[in-house]
Amino acid sequence: MRARALAGFAAAGIGLSAVPFFGPPAFYESFLYLVFHWIVLAVSWNILSGYSGYFSFGHGAFFGAGMYTTATLATKAGVPFLWTLPAAALVAAVFGIALGAVVFRLPRLRGELFALLTLAVTFVLATIVLNTPIDGGPGLYLSAVPLPAIGPSPSSAFYLLGLALALTTLWTAREIQRSRFGTGLFAIHDDEDVAEVLGVPTYRYKLAAFGLSCGLAGIAGGIQAMFISYVTVGETFSIAVPLNVVLMSVLGGSRHWFGPAVGAATVTALLYAFTAGDYAVAGRAAVGLILILVILFLPEGIFGELIGALKRRRVSVTPAIGTADLPAPNAARPGKSEGQPLLEARGLSKAFRGVQALAGVDLEVRRGEILGLVGPNGSGKSTLINVVSGHFRPDSGRILFEGCDLAALEAHRIARTGIARTYQIPRPFAHLSVLENVAVPAMFGRDAQARADAEREARRWLAFTGLAAKAMSLPGELNLHQRKFLELARALASRPNLLLLDEVFSGLTHAEIDDAIRLIREIRARGATIVFVEHVIRAVLELTDRIVVLSYGRVIAAGDPRAVMREPDVVTAYLGKPRV
Amino acid sequence: MPVANRSILAGLGALLALGLAAQGAPAAPAGPPVRIGSTLALTGPLAATGLVHKIVGEIYVEQLNRKDGLLGRPVEWVLKDDQSRPDLARTLYEQLITVDKVDLIMGPYATANILSAMGVAQRYNKLLIHHTFGTPSLAKYDMQFPAGGLAGDPDNTIPKLVFDALAASGKAPKSVAVVTSKFPSVQFISLGAREAAKKRGLREVAFLEWDFGNRDFGPIAARLKDAKPDFVWVGGLGLEGNLLIDAMRKIDYMPPLHFHLFPAPGPLLKAPGGENALAATTFEEHPPFTDNPVAVEFIRLYHERGAKAGLPDTSVENQSAISYSSWQTLETAVAGARSLDDKAIAQWLKRNHVDAIVGRLHWDGPFNYIYGTDLYKVKQNQKGKWVIVWPKEFAAPGARLITP
Amino acid sequence: MALPSLTLLGQSLLSGLFIGALYGLLGLGLSLSWGMLRQINLAHFALAFLGAYLTYQLAGAGINPLATLAVIVPCFFALGALMHWLLARFSVSALVTFGLTAIIEALIQWIWTADFRRMESGYSDVKFRVGALYVALPELLTLAMALALSLAVWAWLRHTYTGKAMRAIAEDAPIAAAFGVDVHGLSLLLSGLCAAFAGVAGLSLALSYTLAPGQIYAWLGVVFAAVMLGGLGNPLGPLVAGIVIGVSEALTMAFTAPAWAPLVSFSLLIVVLLARPGRI
Repeated sequence: MRARALAGFAAAGIGLSAVPFFGPPAFYESFLYLVFHWIVLAVSWNILSGYSGYFSFGHGAFFGAGMYTTATLATKAGVPFLWTLPAAALVAAVFGIALGAVVFRLPRLRGELFALLTLAVTFVLATIVLNTPIDGGPGLYLSAVPLPAIGPSPSSAFYLLGLALALTTLWTAREIQRSRFGTGLFAIHDDEDVAEVLGVPTYRYKLAAFGLSCGLAGIAGGIQAMFISYVTVGETFSIAVPLNVVLMSVLGGSRHWFGPAVGAATVTALLYAFTAGDYAVAGRAAVGLILILVILFLPEGIFGELIGALKRRRVSVTPAIGTADLPAPNAARPGKSEGQPLLEARGLSKAFRGVQALAGVDLEVRRGEILGLVGPNGSGKSTLINVVSGHFRPDSGRILFEGCDLAALEAHRIARTGIARTYQIPRPFAHLSVLENVAVPAMFGRDAQARADAEREARRWLAFTGLAAKAMSLPGELNLHQRKFLELARALASRPNLLLLDEVFSGLTHAEIDDAIRLIREIRARGATIVFVEHVIRAVLELTDRIVVLSYGRVIAAGDPRAVMREPDVVTAYLGKPRV
Repeated sequence: MPVANRSILAGLGALLALGLAAQGAPAAPAGPPVRIGSTLALTGPLAATGLVHKIVGEIYVEQLNRKDGLLGRPVEWVLKDDQSRPDLARTLYEQLITVDKVDLIMGPYATANILSAMGVAQRYNKLLIHHTFGTPSLAKYDMQFPAGGLAGDPDNTIPKLVFDALAASGKAPKSVAVVTSKFPSVQFISLGAREAAKKRGLREVAFLEWDFGNRDFGPIAARLKDAKPDFVWVGGLGLEGNLLIDAMRKIDYMPPLHFHLFPAPGPLLKAPGGENALAATTFEEHPPFTDNPVAVEFIRLYHERGAKAGLPDTSVENQSAISYSSWQTLETAVAGARSLDDKAIAQWLKRNHVDAIVGRLHWDGPFNYIYGTDLYKVKQNQKGKWVIVWPKEFAAPGARLITP
Repeated sequence: MALPSLTLLGQSLLSGLFIGALYGLLGLGLSLSWGMLRQINLAHFALAFLGAYLTYQLAGAGINPLATLAVIVPCFFALGALMHWLLARFSVSALVTFGLTAIIEALIQWIWTADFRRMESGYSDVKFRVGALYVALPELLTLAMALALSLAVWAWLRHTYTGKAMRAIAEDAPIAAAFGVDVHGLSLLLSGLCAAFAGVAGLSLALSYTLAPGQIYAWLGVVFAAVMLGGLGNPLGPLVAGIVIGVSEALTMAFTAPAWAPLVSFSLLIVVLLARPGRI
């Protein structure tokens, strides 16, 4: 697959780079250069904003940083043009990473706030460039900078540079989409918290994607500086750049590496289709109308719809995998004796704005057991799971898991130690297929499997949970029962040592509960240790070896399920004090 | 009787001949058309002025074709819309030259787009006549010919012109405020004005620069009111001068004298507070300019076409006049060189001059500009009309600079 | 340079306040449709300019500019509702409204050309004197309209039954529908209101500015900033945030080089975002 794609890219590269040697009119070369230019900007924008959903409105800033780097180095320092391009990439990338290093630490700066922030950064940068000797107002003039003789004519030189950069960018975007990195970014797009808990190093991934995205835009800016040969603040940092880039990506389809390229080519071609002087105004209206029609009738983007249609036509072939092939969840770490503590919590506390959700919880989970975590609403059960899985950091206390303190670890590192969890209300990645949903933890969990292996693993767990037939569906097409089982399959796919189940049974019918009980028994039989939070007392009594009762953030009882449930404190906690 | 008859016949004959002459005396141009390509900003932020140049170009091409075209061939104007974008201008000029294969090109509107076109012209050794290039020192191509009447060093000539006009008014200002947009082709001339004011011993009470695209001129107006200059130099482009005047009026302040570098002339003329505003121009609709019948005919046609296109202000002034002059330059040079060859025309222009409606154009200085002089004049908004007040020989009859 | 006077300070503050009010007025409809209906309506700016041109046209026919509202507001309300009705059947992205912007811009240029238009009215010259400070009537009108509309929407959302239903839709439209809220009807109402607000903002533009079709895009950046900073769907947000931006820029221009103004306002915005993401 990859070799074929590489051959395809090479063929496209060789074929297209031969064009200038047939001596076409320079206009076609320049036009195609502009197509390549916008392809680079749109595809590079898409690496962060399309894949991970961090909608940047600041692509103009990084493009502009590259433009001014090349312009400054080439005119003021006499650096040869080609040598300024790596510098342009570097400046833009460093600028992006520095910004990201601050912004990505603040989990609430997502969505429109991220868009606003990047837009504001563009204005700030423009003002600085305008009022300092970098530009100062008159603009930078590059026509005295020698253009290296890359092709037969100056237009061919730009054409070839643009082509090389466009192919590089497309290849980068393609490789990212198909790699672990890309899968992580798509998971971040749908649900960043879940992605982190499943083992995706979200912070580093976002930073890397931002850096790459900005660096590529920086090179495009460097070449464009030379192409227009007169760089001014007004033209460079105008809102037109981010608007166009967003337009192109969405028009083409932002969920595929090739989509923005289709959009870029379409929009650039549209621009040239209506430049006749007599119909300039009508042309503008026509472009608007075409955009509206395309968006209305192809909401996933031109290329997105195409891919969708192809996928629908292709019948998914599911390899027959029986549950017999299943490895034990913790097959990789066989046999320490049962009964030893696997997880120990000591003095765990967590408060939210004055509400003490956990008030010094001490707890141990023994290897191989099923531990039921019960207690009335608001007693701290879910908080406990959230703290153990790294979703929240505890205010104080320690969590020892196989000798390592989890309290100080980021959530994705906790996932890699072999802990997996489910969510009470299923939180699947909405835009990933059921199969991909389950493959994510296999790729990012303890074993960090390659994609193909992870998918094989995922299919096993889908078969195990009875979802094999739904592998290629989107989670939105599943019913609640199936979504709960998807949660389960996703938690199992990382082959955890410790499985944290948050109310798997709530909302299920009797028959479905029976199903689920059978599944959990089987999971345990394969060697996993399970902690589960549950209100369905029948399931608790049937399944658990031991239970721990929480009330107001404290452990009020622990031990054999039936005995504990009869303790007066527990009865009081659930039902209130009996009136005498 | 025969005598009488003969004389009647002769009279009839003369009448007939006159009629024929009116109909067909100029031989209609024949042969394949001469194609002239250019782009203009017909949409986008520069479209307001782009439209002026479009109307003028259409008028001129029609006039050419009603005479004998260029070298006896009809003229076809291939006009494209560069959407006010330099990168588009560049590729469209390449399209005009390498795909449409036009015979000649004309410049687009505004500095950045002309610069783009100039790069293309240079690569294909095409002659480029243009009218609105604001930064002469960037014009480093041998076959480009500015027809806008600007000098090679407008940062010296325009401030000199303005301060000369003020000095001659009898009430020369003692203090000056220079306020300017940081738009490239405006800012450097404003910086020249600072220098000129200093040399003449004027006290600079304020120097303020704003970002092009600034919307709030209130604080700048308030600072001017505080500084109380005798004269304000406004380095504004398009509507910026209007915005500043509006802002000053709102706080009940108007400097005694104010000069606007490249204003949008229509709105400034009508703006309340625009009375007695000074501006730079090359042409206005009054003598001595209207002593030229060519100019009179052009003014008539422009009024007609402007009204038809729906322009709110149809008087001919700087933009339309330099646009017309650049077409005059092309026609005269082609006729003079008797050739459509770019090099031959350029050779001719280098050695000759053209008498255009804005005055005599020649190209013997550095960057093909005229060093040290220009065709710019100072005009003033007097009673809702622009009249040239300086230099004296171009002033409207009886007009002089009004000082408060 | 002499020490800046108190008059300068006061006058600059006022100037910032007034331009901020215009940002707020332009941003109000944008913020409501974005926050409540999840529709990013880029065409809001084009609509505002269409409103401004219509005001110019009607005022040219001798109608009092304020009276034009009687025509423009109902027309724009209908237009906004119609647009919503047409587009609600598709899963609409912001790009549709980008296309609409291009079409409206072309329409404006086709009717009124690209040349500058300035409305002449009795209002533009009226100003009041308060101590050493001056207040111009058009700007005061802008502030008054921005305040009135923002407060009215705020009160509507907070105190009336339909307003509460509207907020329920903003929270979760399907659930609101399940509780019997007429989601479709209220969405039409809100879309109509937003377009009508664009028409009102158009009046302000026509009162204070010279119009050109290209100017549609000039307001985009700063108004977007005000809308997002003010909190999406918050009716008072755009006005407050707009005034913060306007005043900070005006003070920068009063005391330093005016060209640095965007640096101060947008740095301030970044600091606010980093320190307290979410709201001002």
